[in-house]
Amino acid sequence: MLHYWLEFEESMGKVWDRYLNKKVHKFHEDARVDFEDLSKNLHIFHRLMGGEKAKELRITDKRYVETTRTLLEKISFLGKEFFLTWQDEESLYLPASFAYFATKEQNEMLYYWLVALGAQVKDVTNDNVVAKNLEAVAYLVKRYHGFEIFYKEATLYLMQKYPQLEFLKSLEDSSNEELIENYPNPLWIYPPAITPKAANNTDDAQEPLREEGKEKSEELHMKKQAEQIDDKHETDGFLAFLPESLMSIFEQVNVDRCEDDSFDEDALYHAEDLDEITIGQKQANLSSRIKMDLELLPDNTIIYPLGKGHYVDEWDYQKNDYLVNYARILPQVTLNVVPIELPQRLRKTVKKIQGELDMLKLDRIKNDRLPYGDELNMDSWIEYLSHQNKSMHHQNFYVTYEKKTRDMATLLLADISLSTEGGITQEMRIIDVIKDSLMVFSEALEKLEDKFAIYTFSSLQNKKVYFNIIKNFKDKYDALIRGRIDSIKPQYYTRMGAAIREATKILDKQQSTNKLLLIISDGKPNDEDRYDGRYGIEDTKKALQEIKKKGITPFCITIDLDAKEYLSYLFGRNGYAIVRDGEKLPKVLTEVYINLTK
Amino acid sequence: MSQTYYLPQSNEVELFQAAAQMNLPVLIKGPTGCGKTRFIESMGEKLGRDVYTVVCHDDLSAADLVGRHLISEEGTYWQDGPLTKAVRNGGICYIDEIIEARKDTTVVLHSLADYRRVLPIDRTGEVIEAHPDFMLVVSYNPGYQNVLKGMKPSTKQRFISLSFTYPKPDIEKEVIIQESGVDEEIAQKLVDIASEIRQLSDIDIQEAVSTRLLIYAAKLMVRGFDPYQACMHSIVESLSDEEDVLAVLEKLITLHFAKSSHV
Repeated sequence: MLHYWLEFEESMGKVWDRYLNKKVHKFHEDARVDFEDLSKNLHIFHRLMGGEKAKELRITDKRYVETTRTLLEKISFLGKEFFLTWQDEESLYLPASFAYFATKEQNEMLYYWLVALGAQVKDVTNDNVVAKNLEAVAYLVKRYHGFEIFYKEATLYLMQKYPQLEFLKSLEDSSNEELIENYPNPLWIYPPAITPKAANNTDDAQEPLREEGKEKSEELHMKKQAEQIDDKHETDGFLAFLPESLMSIFEQVNVDRCEDDSFDEDALYHAEDLDEITIGQKQANLSSRIKMDLELLPDNTIIYPLGKGHYVDEWDYQKNDYLVNYARILPQVTLNVVPIELPQRLRKTVKKIQGELDMLKLDRIKNDRLPYGDELNMDSWIEYLSHQNKSMHHQNFYVTYEKKTRDMATLLLADISLSTEGGITQEMRIIDVIKDSLMVFSEALEKLEDKFAIYTFSSLQNKKVYFNIIKNFKDKYDALIRGRIDSIKPQYYTRMGAAIREATKILDKQQSTNKLLLIISDGKPNDEDRYDGRYGIEDTKKALQEIKKKGITPFCITIDLDAKEYLSYLFGRNGYAIVRDGEKLPKVLTEVYINLTK
Repeated sequence: MSQTYYLPQSNEVELFQAAAQMNLPVLIKGPTGCGKTRFIESMGEKLGRDVYTVVCHDDLSAADLVGRHLISEEGTYWQDGPLTKAVRNGGICYIDEIIEARKDTTVVLHSLADYRRVLPIDRTGEVIEAHPDFMLVVSYNPGYQNVLKGMKPSTKQRFISLSFTYPKPDIEKEVIIQESGVDEEIAQKLVDIASEIRQLSDIDIQEAVSTRLLIYAAKLMVRGFDPYQACMHSIVESLSDEEDVLAVLEKLITLHFAKSSHV
């Protein structure tokens, strides 16, 4: 009986909820448009409108604005949270979906409108919201007939539905700023919840500076709004919040982030419940490092050893002889990898490289003056006829076009030692560029239909040279391989000679006529033992000589800031290339390929 | 005969005239549809010289430029190629898209493009001295250059170079009006659209919209086509085949020109 009663109560609750939503929200659920579906188009549109090309478009979280609310709104706790569009240096943040208008077209248009506005409005702050927006609106309305119609219709409609927006009417004559702050306009761009300047001001001098603080959890689909509350000084934050609502016990969790890797389970639990996670600034290490990785999947990957390992020789330049079976190779594979799609940021590069390689593919060789072939060459035939003594000449009039085939096997060998953790720029570590290279090259090689394999290596002295399989020659290149590339983590040292010897063994078994060993590294062989310095360089040099003897071409892509002297010693003048950023990758790869296939 | 319409972008006309007087060869580079060929035609008229145009392609052989033996009833005879004709009779030999030809083909130009100004024809054993009015002009589109195609530095370094881009907005507007007869307001809209689309070049589309395409759109409108339709068919569809890019470009057009109801 109780059961039925509960069910009844629940369904009644739902009806009430729906009634309230309809009455108060006035949203058109059937015409709702999601950002996710439009994201790709909006990115292009943003560039089209002259927006900064490096800027990202993301989803914003709601923010609280104190407004005048109707009784019904108050009952339903609505009309207090708003999804506002805002932007900072890096991104434009848009609401996850829109349902203000009755038709899908209009809700879609609202996204386009905001993106166009975002490209126009620069440096908006709390003080100039109105002026900046009005200026940009005027520009868009004047320039685009379509926007003019939309803006007029949308404003009228919104004013009718939300009487609080009536202030828009009076904007032309006098801008009553209090009114404006009172109710947010969905058609405008707002400043970040806390302006960069204000954020900096709250940093204390004695707080440890954390360089990695710039790291962004790109995996996060939604920008969880991490509001910095200035709880040291009793001054106000962004004028649009209601301080008492923010500081209530329910909504503030001091997430303990002293140790980065420890998950405070309680905090995590609460984080799911709360709309906003408020981070108290009293904990020093949180100052600039708000790394919201709470939604990230825990790392489940397992490194699984394949067999007990085997031995390769090493060259001792002091003895001028090999140390037989000196280094132990431990092959491994990473399990539980999450397959991923090609990251958005690499698509452009991949496209470019594929375009260039298309030309390579079409490169046909014309074999002229053959006694037989596919086509008759009229020129040679007429030339033959025009000669006085025809019988003296060969009757070779035919032409054949041959498609150049690169019977090619490429092994990509990536150095994943700890030194690759080092940064190239503040945002980019060497390992990131190595991962990007692996993905870009894989896409390109896949496109060329060339055989390729990917391995990574790292070492702990001669006893443990880890040799990770990302993709062997038989594996198909797919999302799983990309996942494996993505899961690469820097570890240990660089015993390059041993890894090259192991790679040589694998390449040597391939049947292809052309074999290429592409080493991607920060270039420096080293290990805990004497492998550092000359010993390591001599061993690597020896390993490279061995590989050349087997008819395999080694090439090193060095990801580093300066050219090191030993590079040309190791790889020869034309045996390496230095790459500083991902942009240069396509050029390097095509150059390597052309040099090899000539 | 009416003069070919050409509106100079900067000092290219003076440069070209000077080069013609001093017998210097000229290299013109620029994206597609920015007025390279039109410029040569108008210069030919201005200087009173014939223009012999050769459009290069992969299989272009030296014989296609110089000439070849042909067969008639009596036997074989020699037929001059366009280059040889221009060398003999005087005139501008305009070699379009020179990087499309294989690098070894264009080597025949070398002796014409320096102080010697002679064309040796090995098949007939003739060495032709260039007519005083002979002028060599080559052009290419740097956007199509890649590792396999490109000019040999030894070829490139024999020319005076003129670099063309799309005309500045006011010049482009004037050109559109002149070429199509469309009114100023629409021409301005087309120029606006172009400046926006050109933001996307190299990222989302291979090459931005050319002045030529804008003129096509304007011409369609003058013929009575609905502006939205005209832009879609002349501008949008020719720029990309990718759906999302097309969708955004379409959006852009609808922002400028309202979509007609019967579409």
